[in-house]
Amino acid sequence: MMFNRFTDKSRRCVQAAWEEARMLGHDSVGDEDLLLGILRAEEGLAAEALSSLGVTLERARDESEEMFSNALSSIGISLEEIRQEAGDAFEMRIPPGRRLPLSPRAKKVLVRARKEMRRLGDNHLGTEHVLLGILHNEDGTAVRLLAGMDVSPEALEDRLYKLRSRRAAG
Amino acid sequence: MDENTRTQIGRPQDPRDGLEAVVALRRLLEALEAAQVENAFIAGWSWAQIAEALGVSKQAVHKKHARRIKDKYPGDPPRRKGRGA
Repeated sequence: MMFNRFTDKSRRCVQAAWEEARMLGHDSVGDEDLLLGILRAEEGLAAEALSSLGVTLERARDESEEMFSNALSSIGISLEEIRQEAGDAFEMRIPPGRRLPLSPRAKKVLVRARKEMRRLGDNHLGTEHVLLGILHNEDGTAVRLLAGMDVSPEALEDRLYKLRSRRAAG
Repeated sequence: MDENTRTQIGRPQDPRDGLEAVVALRRLLEALEAAQVENAFIAGWSWAQIAEALGVSKQAVHKKHARRIKDKYPGDPPRRKGRGA
């Protein structure tokens, strides 16, 4: 079972990732959607570490939109012009009724999250393990999205471990 | 279009950038199709007319768009005068 041992918080983050992916018009739930899900659910150590480094849901969504717009510009397409041309009916949201699969990259993140849980000797899969799984994939969209906000995987990992040890001591 | 523009547009340097542009284009295409089908519907086009213009079967267009558009415009659609209205 893919979501076996997940805590309620990390389950809600993954659920929120689906909502973000749908809203942004992604045809699968990617690693960047898992990151956005953590920010949207605002739960757990992962969200705490992200917000302490200034990463907010709004900024992350803007960055995601910028990456989308830049990818289109690279082949000579202006998102803004298309949007204006299509009028009010234009929206990226995927309509209800269409199921979104987890992308191969997002699956790898969740597999990695389980490894992180074991490596740290934990019994439950929390939001911090999901975030470590995201950060492990250096070629992932999420890591580049964070880089766009001047946040390195190293800085985030460092922050996560600090928060963990504070929680253990507290 | 000179040589420099040609290498910039349509031929990104990094293969990953090229592939990601394809993914972005696919997402854009889906959103644009949904918007233009909705625009045609509001303009009073029938499903058959929309399907013909898109070059697909009426069933295919109906299956893909009807539910979303009917959810958005329940009851009588806010149709403007136009072809097929």
